[in-house]
Amino acid sequence: MADPQLVVDDLHVRFPTTRGLVEAVNGVSFTLEKGQMLGIVGESGSGKSVTAKTLMNLLPRTAEVDGSITFEGQDVRDLAQRKQKHFWGVKMTMVFQDPMTSLNPVKKCGEQIAETLRYHMGDDNSTALEKAVDLLEQVGIPEPAKRVNQYPHELSGGLRQRVVIAMALACEPSLLIADEPTTAVDVTVQKRLLDLLDRLRQERGMSMVLITHDLGVARGRCDDVAVMYGGRLVERAPTEVLFSDSRHPYTEALLRTIPRIEQPSHTRLEPIEGRPPELINPPEQCAFAPRCRHAQAACLEGIPENSGLPGMREFACFYPSNTERGDEAMAANIAAGQTVTGLTIAQPAEGGS
Amino acid sequence: MAGTGHAPLRDDPNVLLTVTDLEVEFPVGRNAVVHAVSGISFDVAEGETLGIVGESGCGKSTVARSIIRLNEIKSGTVDYQGKDLASLEGEELRRIRPDLQMIFQDPISSLNPRRKIRDVISEGLAVWGNTKGSWSQDRIEELMMAVGIDPKFGDRRPHQFSGGQCQRIGIARALALDPKVLICDEPVSALDVSVQAQVLNILEDMKARYGLTLLFISHDLSVVKNVSDRIIVMYLGKVCEIGNADELYERPRHPYTRALLASIPEPAPTVDVSEGDIEGELPSPITPPTGCRFNTRCQHTTDICFTEEPVMQQVGDADQYVACHHPVEVAVSVNG
Repeated sequence: MADPQLVVDDLHVRFPTTRGLVEAVNGVSFTLEKGQMLGIVGESGSGKSVTAKTLMNLLPRTAEVDGSITFEGQDVRDLAQRKQKHFWGVKMTMVFQDPMTSLNPVKKCGEQIAETLRYHMGDDNSTALEKAVDLLEQVGIPEPAKRVNQYPHELSGGLRQRVVIAMALACEPSLLIADEPTTAVDVTVQKRLLDLLDRLRQERGMSMVLITHDLGVARGRCDDVAVMYGGRLVERAPTEVLFSDSRHPYTEALLRTIPRIEQPSHTRLEPIEGRPPELINPPEQCAFAPRCRHAQAACLEGIPENSGLPGMREFACFYPSNTERGDEAMAANIAAGQTVTGLTIAQPAEGGS
Repeated sequence: MAGTGHAPLRDDPNVLLTVTDLEVEFPVGRNAVVHAVSGISFDVAEGETLGIVGESGCGKSTVARSIIRLNEIKSGTVDYQGKDLASLEGEELRRIRPDLQMIFQDPISSLNPRRKIRDVISEGLAVWGNTKGSWSQDRIEELMMAVGIDPKFGDRRPHQFSGGQCQRIGIARALALDPKVLICDEPVSALDVSVQAQVLNILEDMKARYGLTLLFISHDLSVVKNVSDRIIVMYLGKVCEIGNADELYERPRHPYTRALLASIPEPAPTVDVSEGDIEGELPSPITPPTGCRFNTRCQHTTDICFTEEPVMQQVGDADQYVACHHPVEVAVSVNG
């Protein structure tokens, strides 16, 4: 097997603040094969966007980064200055959440795409503009020749996001990072944008990291899905495996908490009690322990390492779900009426207040 | 008139709120107007949850805001317990306001950052103290406990709470005046999924505990189905389809309803994924298409769709009404 295209090893990102050091990303490791689509899901504050920004070298100067990021055999954190210039935005590009703020409002759309081409590829002005029209056509924008001369405010949200995608594709990247690319748009537009990204990825043999908070989006589109919680990667598995046979109690709880369309109305939801973890000086324990139904004494004494089979499925939990160990822990907690952290639990399918 | 017609209105003594032919327009200069809501009619029975779904710009928030007169109504009536909310003015309008309360999308910006949450929740009571019965700290504490906020945090300010907690505080504030109708405008859209379920459960609990009638607006089809008894699907200021929540999702008849259900990341099993491929962009609400407003993007159009607006009609004898010249036939035995 060839080397993975992207290897992230033990990545740590910390931000000094007046209240203390925020550990936004705390020992994240993963690999991405060429042509693969990896979904990273998690809630706000889980570190998924910071991970993406670290890959793209977009963090503020104050951020403290540790760990290594190897892309196609090269350590990107160690690139020579002159190479850096034509690395980000060429080999590795990114699409952001909000298409309005990621486009320059006072520049025509075509000009913004052409700018990338002139800078990185050394194209002259007219070639760059021709390519821009061509790119807009590839991303499915009607009347591309007219659109190149329009400003972002003249386009709808869906079209703007297509312009951003065209811009990201201009230099034929081999890895595209999409950070919540469809969060700001409606469902019918979302479907078309995701279809577009899928098609472009296949046509170009490009790899993709899709960051989303929407489990449904990840399920429908990704080869593998990684789940983040409290700055750590808690589980990763091939998509169908993750959704049908998850190991980490957080993944399991997350899947149960979302309302599903096939359930009858007024189906009682199972919320995850408690709140997301504090990222400032987090204690040396499993971050999910205070909200976890499986929590035992061991969960408060150390941080679980990633276990499982790398490349197949990995998870970081002492008492994983759908295993004998996890079931025993759960049974013990039900018998005691509460977990070691004081979370009261009743029967598995809890009714409510 | 697409989406108009009074067919979905029920002749039932339990109906609490009846909106008839509601029209709302916003001027945008140079004699142009945005036709935000163009003649829609529906009713809500007491104790019912009515969900409104649709994409941005379809007018769902405008409908909600019109009911409590947060924007001007061009024409139409909003009948609430024999009074027309659309034409009430001055003191009479003020007197009715405690009955209809609202929860907003952004939980943090809808709370005054400078005030203690105890004061935020009690403000309505302080205003209405004399007419709505006496109020006390006990009442505030009861409300805070009901929504799951520890009363000992009453002296904290909104920034000291998370988004989910702020939304709970917003719910407590809305409930302080013992409203009959609670209007929820995208109440969970800004929240993470693990918190979303907490807030949805609280809304269900509060509905049962205080006997509320809910108007629930969201763009998330799964969330709307979960909370609603009845659902309205809106498109460009018109109603496409109204019906019982379970039946509507089971047998969607309007091509737009079907497109929505096919577009969500995990499509509903009742529709084909290809039905989600609707072409083109949302037309401008300043110059909406004539005939059926969905005709620019619909796969089933014929000549009549461009000339005549479809009227709401009942589907068989089910509690389902659709405004379409060519409703999609669904193989079911229940409907004639």
